[in-house]
Amino acid sequence: MKELFSPNARPRRVVFTTMVAAQLMLLILLWAFYPMQMLPSLGAVLRALSELTTSQGLIPELWASMTTALQSLAVATGLALLISYLTALPFFRPIAYAASKMRYLTLTGLTFFMAILLSSGHEVKLTVLIFATTVYLVTGMTSVILTTTQEEMDHARTLGMSEWRSFWEVVVLGKLDDMLEVVRQNFAIIWTMITLVETLYQSEGGIGLLLYKQNRYLHLDGVVAIQLVILATGALQDYLFGLLRRVFFPYSELTTAR
Amino acid sequence: MTPYFYKAPVLTLEGISMTFNGEVILRDINAQVLDVCRPDMQQGQVVGFYGRSGMGKSVLCRILAGLVSPTTGRVLVGEQQEPVTPGAVGFVQQRYPLFNHRTLHDNLLVAASRKYAPEEATQQVDAYLERFQLSKHRKKYPAHLSGGQRQRAAIAQQLLCSDHLILLDEPFSGLDVAMIDEVKKIILEVTTMDELNTVVIVSHDIATTTALCDRLWLLGYERDANGQLIPGATITQQHQYNLAEMGLAWHENVEAEPEFARFVEHIKDEIRQ
Repeated sequence: MKELFSPNARPRRVVFTTMVAAQLMLLILLWAFYPMQMLPSLGAVLRALSELTTSQGLIPELWASMTTALQSLAVATGLALLISYLTALPFFRPIAYAASKMRYLTLTGLTFFMAILLSSGHEVKLTVLIFATTVYLVTGMTSVILTTTQEEMDHARTLGMSEWRSFWEVVVLGKLDDMLEVVRQNFAIIWTMITLVETLYQSEGGIGLLLYKQNRYLHLDGVVAIQLVILATGALQDYLFGLLRRVFFPYSELTTAR
Repeated sequence: MTPYFYKAPVLTLEGISMTFNGEVILRDINAQVLDVCRPDMQQGQVVGFYGRSGMGKSVLCRILAGLVSPTTGRVLVGEQQEPVTPGAVGFVQQRYPLFNHRTLHDNLLVAASRKYAPEEATQQVDAYLERFQLSKHRKKYPAHLSGGQRQRAAIAQQLLCSDHLILLDEPFSGLDVAMIDEVKKIILEVTTMDELNTVVIVSHDIATTTALCDRLWLLGYERDANGQLIPGATITQQHQYNLAEMGLAWHENVEAEPEFARFVEHIKDEIRQ
């Protein structure tokens, strides 16, 4: 018990699991029995969840949003990797710098601009998501590249590797696990944006639109139910990214302090 | 005294100076490592550059390894005495870097692939793993290796792709007595692998470096006529020591000899001046 409150302690797995279960139980009990109702009751949320699933197509809407999110993420990751790796060439560094700073652009202004340029709502939605995700990914990825040390590059050079080969070995291969971590962290941004973008282009539905409707008609129980679904989906995504990292980059956690 | 004679130069430093942002770090360094031969012995040699902390030893290492060009002067390497380029000299940096995303076997293979065809590269890697007692760790990632194993792996990696010259930057730094003995053994092992192998140690550990070397250069600052320090570390004529000539090289337990102790004291006095 004492170790749960000691700095940097490593409690046994069973102790830690019990602690998490107890915290979760406490949260549920508070939610169920706390006299001041800030949230809809647990029962109401569960009923709303059931109703959303059976009659409002929560699962297909979630799937629609998920496919859009994954599509955007795949394209954005490719673009961001390209822009970030090109920083090896001084000519392209201003582009990466500018891309990184574009994360300060507001989504509404961006959507308006994209709507003028593109014809279909789907394209606008996808382009806005790709653009916004790319600029965040470029920021994270260039930071990872900047962690490359003189020692690492010198090491590759002393093995007779050319500058490009050294870059490939040290920066591309050597930091691929960190790049995956950047993608994992920034995937959450897509979920915050997708809900907004889906309300602007309602023809394709999506969980964002469902959330918007619940908000609009003041169905607080439905709002909480959808938020919990998004939260669970995000947690599952995080877990899957962690799994990918452990499977493909088993070395990446060897030096991490636990 | 062990009989010996010198052949062609294997490493030459010609008027090396280095300036960073107007600050002189190294000034007019000249030194030449000659291939030393001992009759009936098939062994390379160990030479050392000694300098106090902060004197520009790491800069000198990077110049010797061809990683940075000196402001003036040049470094020539090999039997043909060609200007140094990255990869011509094996360079084991202070913290023994390896590719953390590759297993130990793959780390060595990537180096061996530079010089050998794929099949021969694999054979060479296996031979080096065996020779450096790393075979059972071949599938481990660098993060799983101990400091000693990492150092052996880093040396093996450099040997696999360099041409006889290997440079060690502070190989004894932060090691305990047992580990220092192990590193000394590795260095001697490297010299016995090929008659042409030359290990260049750049260190601030006087006794250990001196015990291993047959030539020693002492980096220091000169003073002008007014007694003021002249900026930039250099190697003066009186700070070039031929330990073979002095009868202090190639002895099994040279550190126990009174002559060796006297020499180390002399070096310390020189440093304090």
